[in-house]
Amino acid sequence: MASYRVGVDVGGTFTDIVLLGSEGTIHTKKISSSVENYAQAIVDGLVEVFAETGLAGEAIEEIRHGTTVASNAILEHKGARTGLITTKGFRDVLEIRTLRMPRMYDIGWTKPPPLVERYLRQVVDERIDAQGAVQRALDPRDAERAVDELLAEKVEAIAVCLLHSFTNPAHELLLKKIIEKKAPALPCSISCEVLPEIKEYERTSTTVVNAYVTPIVSSYLKALRKGLDRADVRARLLLMQSSGGLTTDAAAVERPVHIIESGPAGGVVGAQALARARGLPKLITFDMGGTTAKASIVEDGEVTRATEYSVGAGIVIGSRLLTGAGYTLKVPAIDLAEVGAGGGSLVWIDPAGALQVGPQSAGASPGPVCYGKGGDTPTVTDANLLLGYLNPSYLVGGALKLDTAKAQEVFAAKVAAPLGMGLEQAAYGAHLIAASNMIRAIKAVSTERGRDPREFALFAFGGNGPVFACGMAAALGMKRIVVPPSAGLFSSFGLLYADVEHHYSRTFRRLLRAADPREIGRAWDALARQALDQLALEGFTGDHAKIRRSAALHYHGQTYELAVPLPDGPMDLHHLEEAFGREHEKTYGHRAGADEPVELVSIQVVGLGLHEGTNVPERVRPSRPEPAPPPPRRAHFGADIGWLETPVLRRSDLSTPRAGPLIVEEYDATCVIPPGARAELDGGGNIVIELG
Amino acid sequence: MDPIALELFKNAIFSIADEMALTVVRTTYSGVLKDNMDFSTGFADAEGKLVAQGLTLPGHLGSVPTAMASIMRHYRDDMRPGDVFIMNDPFDGGMHLPDIFVFKPLYHEGERLAFACTVCHHTDVGGRVAGSNASDSTEIYAEGLRIAPLKMYEAGVLNKTLMTFIERNVRLPVMVFGDLRAQLAACHIAEKQFAGLVAKYGTAQLKLYMRETIDYAERLTRAALADLPDGEWSFEDWIDDDGVDYGKPIRLFVTLRKKGGHMVVDWTGTAPQVKGAINNTLSFTKAASYTGVRSVLPQGIPNNEGVFRAIEVICPPGTVGNGVLPAACAARGLTGFRMTDCMFGALAMMLPDRVKAAGDGGNTGVSIGGYDAGRKPFIYVDFTCGAWGARPWADGLDGNSHMFANMASHSVEVTECEHPIQLLAYEFVPDKAGAGKYRGGVPFRRDYRFLEDEAVLQVRSDRRTHRPFGLYGGSPGMPSENYLDPEGENRILPSKFTMTIRRGNVFRHVLAGAGGWGDPLERDPAAVLRDVRNELLSPAKAAADYGVVIFENQIDPKATAKRRAEIRAARGWREVPKVQWHDPQTLERAAA
Repeated sequence: MASYRVGVDVGGTFTDIVLLGSEGTIHTKKISSSVENYAQAIVDGLVEVFAETGLAGEAIEEIRHGTTVASNAILEHKGARTGLITTKGFRDVLEIRTLRMPRMYDIGWTKPPPLVERYLRQVVDERIDAQGAVQRALDPRDAERAVDELLAEKVEAIAVCLLHSFTNPAHELLLKKIIEKKAPALPCSISCEVLPEIKEYERTSTTVVNAYVTPIVSSYLKALRKGLDRADVRARLLLMQSSGGLTTDAAAVERPVHIIESGPAGGVVGAQALARARGLPKLITFDMGGTTAKASIVEDGEVTRATEYSVGAGIVIGSRLLTGAGYTLKVPAIDLAEVGAGGGSLVWIDPAGALQVGPQSAGASPGPVCYGKGGDTPTVTDANLLLGYLNPSYLVGGALKLDTAKAQEVFAAKVAAPLGMGLEQAAYGAHLIAASNMIRAIKAVSTERGRDPREFALFAFGGNGPVFACGMAAALGMKRIVVPPSAGLFSSFGLLYADVEHHYSRTFRRLLRAADPREIGRAWDALARQALDQLALEGFTGDHAKIRRSAALHYHGQTYELAVPLPDGPMDLHHLEEAFGREHEKTYGHRAGADEPVELVSIQVVGLGLHEGTNVPERVRPSRPEPAPPPPRRAHFGADIGWLETPVLRRSDLSTPRAGPLIVEEYDATCVIPPGARAELDGGGNIVIELG
Repeated sequence: MDPIALELFKNAIFSIADEMALTVVRTTYSGVLKDNMDFSTGFADAEGKLVAQGLTLPGHLGSVPTAMASIMRHYRDDMRPGDVFIMNDPFDGGMHLPDIFVFKPLYHEGERLAFACTVCHHTDVGGRVAGSNASDSTEIYAEGLRIAPLKMYEAGVLNKTLMTFIERNVRLPVMVFGDLRAQLAACHIAEKQFAGLVAKYGTAQLKLYMRETIDYAERLTRAALADLPDGEWSFEDWIDDDGVDYGKPIRLFVTLRKKGGHMVVDWTGTAPQVKGAINNTLSFTKAASYTGVRSVLPQGIPNNEGVFRAIEVICPPGTVGNGVLPAACAARGLTGFRMTDCMFGALAMMLPDRVKAAGDGGNTGVSIGGYDAGRKPFIYVDFTCGAWGARPWADGLDGNSHMFANMASHSVEVTECEHPIQLLAYEFVPDKAGAGKYRGGVPFRRDYRFLEDEAVLQVRSDRRTHRPFGLYGGSPGMPSENYLDPEGENRILPSKFTMTIRRGNVFRHVLAGAGGWGDPLERDPAAVLRDVRNELLSPAKAAADYGVVIFENQIDPKATAKRRAEIRAARGWREVPKVQWHDPQTLERAAA
């Protein structure tokens, strides 16, 4: 009997489940999320799949899970009552943050409240200097007093972050010992263990978030395990991390700070795997759902990662310059740019008479006008319906019927008439403006990173991604679009492609030319050992455990670093310096002269746990039958082209190449292919579209 | 004009300006640029009219048009492809000497279509004090290298004479040239992106859209202004002194005249220019005026010439808001911040329910510079601010940059690794925020210990004698403080000074507390208790200012009611005071 691997992505509205059999069969399930207890929907969904397919719990070999449990705890301020211990004089580092605000002229700006209120922030009288020397020793009695005060306040977790602990952790480790002695069961996060890197605010914030979400992640995983036990699923549970690598449930409880952006990572990792399999060197992923659109880059088979991001920052269009929202985390995360544009984004006219789309959204309720659930402001989905892109009787396989007449009436009254335009002209305008907002997300990960989007293929998924993909690609001068199978469920599906991954880093400031390569090599080796020990614990040894090294460098005096990968083998600092110069030139268009000293700032190690053989078969077979071929319909392609009678296809109809205009309708997504483009399936079942 | 095509064009052009800004951030050498975001990028049309400004520093609003006008005046007929302009002269389009402008005209088939514009605050441009931001210089000639509008590149060829001249006159040429390269990189990015727009739209269409983007912002601004009441409102405030004529207050006075879609911001009545280096250029006064007005307009109006057309700024030459040669202006940041606060005051008279009280007064500048044993120069420059005035609906922010600058703080650990400085404290100070129904922001202190043999310490602070005002019954914040060796001699230092410090000296700066909004007796006692519990307010102050009696973290409701009644009777307000610069108690004492 086939064994199955399961990908589960839990979102705010839907829980998506994908089961992949060892012989290539795939079963999918979309059920409503159980908001009170996210684990319940996962278990219920699996039980339903078992009932539909005759499978049993023992057929499941592994569950891979993307979850928003940790990020929701932060957004909703429902994490643990957390205490913080810091250096005397620096009690407010967590609250003062970096002083910056994300909005420019906003008197109404409210800072995110600190996750640890001031009265739960204790200081200890100690000081380690910038060189790591103990300037003022930590008196154990003072340390005990600080811990006792927090315990008296009945904290549920403690974070410890002292100045310069990344250079000398002695005082933090003393505090750890005392906490463990006094409260052995209390989750406790120590900054030198969570993030041994320079910059006290970033380190404090990261350590605090880790402590803050530990109890909630721990109880969630316990509940999930219990539910799986009841369903006779004994499979190992792996969690998606923000970095795009998997981790075990045990490791996730230790470092939950790594699974905060677990949700959106799956799709990008899936894109990476397909890029490798299909030999696509450069992809821009584009994931568009109901409220937001996200873009990221996969280059030479690798996702790009940010070393720092904010959780709960909300969405600020095209403005990664404006920091200060949300909670800062300095852990690797897939570098995603997000804009507030989705099917539910509102279409409106500003006081100067310009047509605007989003960032406000009609959300799930009332939703777009055409859903007939009381929405009376036009949305992007209404525009797409009026343009003929969406089938009024076949959204989510027909479960959702759309009211075209209502959408027409409201769109005409609120958008077309005030602009003095025809209905389709206004709808097409809204569609284009939504696309141009989303183009800012794509530019944020490409041109703003020194990458030319024209050299990339657009990899589109999410319920709405394939509706917009061709138009956006054309606007950016991109030639090729790829739409994967199960595009609307791709975040779940992508989980199946991921590997186990553990990231370690350490601040290590040295001018390269003055550095001792052996000393640097030893520091890397120490991190690598840490990674290998963790992997061995999880059963990855020998060829299944792989180490990747990288370094963050800058020209001495610069305040921003660039990451450069390091080949295996002995340390070659000249090579490293040259690699940095090349990366600087690639990213910024110039490099400094040879006499400008390059400084190593921090070192990183990634430990990879590789599975046996290929993770996912080349070609998968969905178990859900395709519907009967739908009739063609009229779709609008802008003023120059106008309305065209457009054939509506199922995915399998593209096994022979077809020329646009075409619409491909599926259970979970709709793909619009404009006139002049050609589409066909590749060997992996992806729709590949070439623009004319 | 197709409104959809225009919207698409606007997205494209503003994303170029933002991309330029990101390029500067990523390639810059100096922390002032990266962390403080003390730079701006923009895009102007062929005549130098600002079409799009990147998401950067409000204090630079209006700087590009003034600088562009100067470039046009000098070079309108002497410009060709490959030229790059550089300048910093405050009396010929610049703002203060550390702000160096780099402009590149962009051409298509020989026709000039646009300018890529950048302005960056450089770490040092020479002059008598490291960091080139001394507040006690008395004429521009002491402040550093004055660069008239010149060609940095002529038809693609670098002006080596000029660059050598700069190199020999600044303390950290590697830093300055690194940041100039960042500015060039931003122009380069803009040029590349702009070529894409030319290919897409064609030149005729492009010109039309640039003009329409400006008109669009003007329409939005006028529509928003039209929603505000018509009339005339004035406000005055004082800067303590200029750091040269100690104790001589400097008056800021603004009148807003608003009619329909037009607003006049008139600074007539503002003090004559001063000897100390806090004189604004008109462009900086404009920036402060625009920032104030924008804070009561809806978010999302694009930054360009169109906004400036609807908001007219007047400030007579020879005043502290519009200095003329040889006014020193390096430390004019102070005046800019305070003019913004003065704008808030005037706007609060116009719109009582929408504007905040005074914050800490904008950033304090601390610079420590000298030479180590090996004669290698070091310069540590720190600009810090963080307490917002209370809002009519919420407390002032604690630990948030002034709106005029939106700067970030440097990491303490990085500072200690790179400079001969150790920070001994960076934390909130209790009992300094102005009381109110909504209290002012809580200020913090920073204690700096010096670790080299000798250096010059330069401090520019204010709000010592003239405290941050409270509004509509709110109390003013407590004054700023400066000390030398707080754990030893604890000498009180003036708000602005230059002195020599030696190894082991500790300088402490405490920001002023921000002003409160509304009657403190109307503050929710639970909010008072929260501040007490968080040690931001002492129980004694809670009773004295708010009439809230707290014992062992519990509110005593009876005692509170009694205390509040006593205060109400004692202060005898016939009407709620609109603006307060002094505590009611202080006034009572003065009267007695």
